[in-house]
Amino acid sequence: MGLKTFLEDIEPDFEPGGKYEKFYALYEAAATIFYTPGKVNKAQTHVRDSIDLKRIMIMVWMATFPAMFYGMYNVGLQASIAIEAGGALYDGWQAGLFTALGGTLTADSGWLSMLFYGACFFVPIYAVTFVVGGFWEVLFASIRKHEVNEGFFVTSVLFALTLPATIPLWQVALGITFGVVIAKEIFGGTGRNFLNPALSGRAFLYFAYPAQISGDNPWVAAQMADGYSGATWLSKAATGEMGNVTNSFNDLSLWWDSFFGNIPGSVGEVSTLAILLGGLFIIYMRIASWRIVAGVGLGVAFFASLLNLIGSDTNPMFAMPFYWHFVIGGLAFGMFFMATDPVSASFTNQGKWAYGIFIGFMTVLIRVLNPAFPEGIMLAILFANLWAPLFDYFVAQSNIKRRLARVG
Amino acid sequence: MSAKKETFGKTVGVVVAVCLVCSIVVSGAAVGLRSLQQTNAAIDKKSNILTAAGLYEAGLSNEELSAIYDEFVEERYVELGTDNYVEKDGDYDMYTSAKDPEASVRVENSNVGFQRRANVANVYIVKNEAGDVSRIVLPVHGSGLWGLMYGFLAVDADGKTVRELIYYQHQETPGLGGEIQNPSWQAKWDGKKLYQNGDVAIQVKKQAGNDNPYAVDALSGATLTSNGVENTLTYWAGENGYGPYLKNQSWRS
Amino acid sequence: MADVKEMKKALFGPILDSNPIALHVLGICSALAITTKLETALVMSLALTTVVAFSNLFISIIRNHIPSSVRIIIQMTIIASLVIVVDQILKAYSYEISKQLSVFVGLIITNCIVMGRAEAYAMKSPPLMSFLDGIGNGLGYSFILIVIGTIKELAGFGTILGFEILPLVQNGGWYQGNGLLILPFSSFFLIGGMIWFIRTIRPEQVEPKE
Repeated sequence: MGLKTFLEDIEPDFEPGGKYEKFYALYEAAATIFYTPGKVNKAQTHVRDSIDLKRIMIMVWMATFPAMFYGMYNVGLQASIAIEAGGALYDGWQAGLFTALGGTLTADSGWLSMLFYGACFFVPIYAVTFVVGGFWEVLFASIRKHEVNEGFFVTSVLFALTLPATIPLWQVALGITFGVVIAKEIFGGTGRNFLNPALSGRAFLYFAYPAQISGDNPWVAAQMADGYSGATWLSKAATGEMGNVTNSFNDLSLWWDSFFGNIPGSVGEVSTLAILLGGLFIIYMRIASWRIVAGVGLGVAFFASLLNLIGSDTNPMFAMPFYWHFVIGGLAFGMFFMATDPVSASFTNQGKWAYGIFIGFMTVLIRVLNPAFPEGIMLAILFANLWAPLFDYFVAQSNIKRRLARVG
Repeated sequence: MSAKKETFGKTVGVVVAVCLVCSIVVSGAAVGLRSLQQTNAAIDKKSNILTAAGLYEAGLSNEELSAIYDEFVEERYVELGTDNYVEKDGDYDMYTSAKDPEASVRVENSNVGFQRRANVANVYIVKNEAGDVSRIVLPVHGSGLWGLMYGFLAVDADGKTVRELIYYQHQETPGLGGEIQNPSWQAKWDGKKLYQNGDVAIQVKKQAGNDNPYAVDALSGATLTSNGVENTLTYWAGENGYGPYLKNQSWRS
Repeated sequence: MADVKEMKKALFGPILDSNPIALHVLGICSALAITTKLETALVMSLALTTVVAFSNLFISIIRNHIPSSVRIIIQMTIIASLVIVVDQILKAYSYEISKQLSVFVGLIITNCIVMGRAEAYAMKSPPLMSFLDGIGNGLGYSFILIVIGTIKELAGFGTILGFEILPLVQNGGWYQGNGLLILPFSSFFLIGGMIWFIRTIRPEQVEPKE
């Protein structure tokens, strides 16, 4: 009760002519977290529904929690495995924070220590994303007299989850700045961006500072002993360290490891199981389009199988079965959380199928045939974002043609 | 814009006149500047060779550079896959000859990344003040991530020890593969051995360490460039490349 | 004869008010490709300015004798000759830079700024004004290239004209070079940003809404 009266009391200060007129966007964003806006539509059309943009975004945000918490636990797990192999705690302030707060990490630490270790890495990343990205959101909203859009909740968490735990925080700040300003605000804010802002920010970091976001070093948050490989399984597969006699693709126990997420990688992308939990939730809630997800799955399965048949003597990626594609790298995360972004995807149903299949196809193409980039899902989705309006255009044109034929 | 200048004769006349003037200017510039340009190209090549020979210093004038080159470097021509010297013209170039089916062979059973190589290679023998052979500078090339990488490999007079590996032309990603031109990485090559028990043993691999005489640290984040460098050296130090020449140390005779 | 005010306009107008890259969006190709280092950007600017200025001058001198049926070909011939001469001079006197510029000097021939100014201005203006217009447009092009070249070299390599400003991590310093700005396509973002900036201080350049 008190909260509502308080909000109503201070509202006049933020309205035009009030003391804090400039900060209306901030007030509005905070107030609508607790209460539905009191405004009603003044034109004829009115849809009354329990769900609005803010609810949608909060649900997506919650759907990432399994992947987020498993990811933090896995940061600790991977570090403890590296430590057991002769390594030491990560050489950086995050590990200092961890020990200062009384944490210890050894090979046989419990899951709580591991989660805590991971949190010392991930929470600062997420905090920086939120503060810096939020700053730009509020700045643009104030200048343009918009409301601060809830989409940023999702953008920030998705962006943070696609980063390796060891990434320097100043790079996080630059990446989210690029994602929010260049990919979204320049085009007019949420709803007008044709690229996925979280992925654009990650792509910026990928090209600007490749040493901190690709290769063998950033994925494990520990000092690794000589000869200990911190490479992701995807890059191991590309160099032939996977899919050989000792680590066969036929060894299903390895596949289950990867499915549960006990592998090095970006914080949120490792556990296919956790992503599946969140992903199925948002599909069930009709927030994510099942057509896009199914399209990506089909595209990957079909094209990967085709490459299996073609085969290659020099490129071990050709032999990787499609069910491996789903559990290593960022494919699962991208397909459930990034490809289904309603703003940058296709809108029509047939367009969504085409868009999904195209992403699946491009992902495998980049993963298998391009020697430079081990991971393909990020670039595939960004590329498909550019095509999404075209798919819609063709669907609309064919509808028009069919109807014209029927009518006349 | 008057109709008068549209007559056929005038059109032809103007075109001919413009073409004549332009061709005179262009050919004048080309002929007048050719010798300077050739000197530049030659100096550029010499400075790369001198860098590999360890004789290059920043700030040398063109004349000093040529003088050092003429004093310490001797160009010879080696038939690849053998230890024989052959005679060639002074302007012989192995990269041009590689395109000539008469003067080149197909590369087989190698992942070095190019199709043909010349039968005869240019090699540069570097002597010290006393007139003894100090280094052999060998042109090498092979594919990296994005394209062919061209460089010079300088081998000690013992025919086994690497002194320098200088790349002068490549298209690798700046900051990753492009680090093959970083002096601190180039410095890691000094003292590495090409052969172990007569076989090519040099490797480019992760965490090779400075003490391993047969391996150089791979470039971080550039696995495929590093593999390309290894493949290049494996090919050129091998039987089809300079292998026999280096083993028999033909420069001693 | 043209008065001083008009001459000033021809010379300095193209820098902000009618910049060939930012307003007409011409000559983008080379602006993307050779701005990785400031030095190459400078030499390219110089080469282009020379070519535009002299092609404008020569075309303007003979403009009353060029038959309109073959005027494009004549313009091309003159521009191409100038470009070849510039390329030869670069190869002779600054070999290192001409190696880095590689085909882009030759591609000045296809640079829309040169043809555009010849066709739009030099064909109907007296020689002196055409020459100044050529230099002006060259300056406008140079302005964008120099700004972008400076940003890219400083942020990408930590140097300006080869002098170390921000010591790189690879060489034991603290600055992490931005790899994106080393790649040619990053100029798209920078040119876009400059157009944004110029249109903010010169709002009359903003196109009316469709």
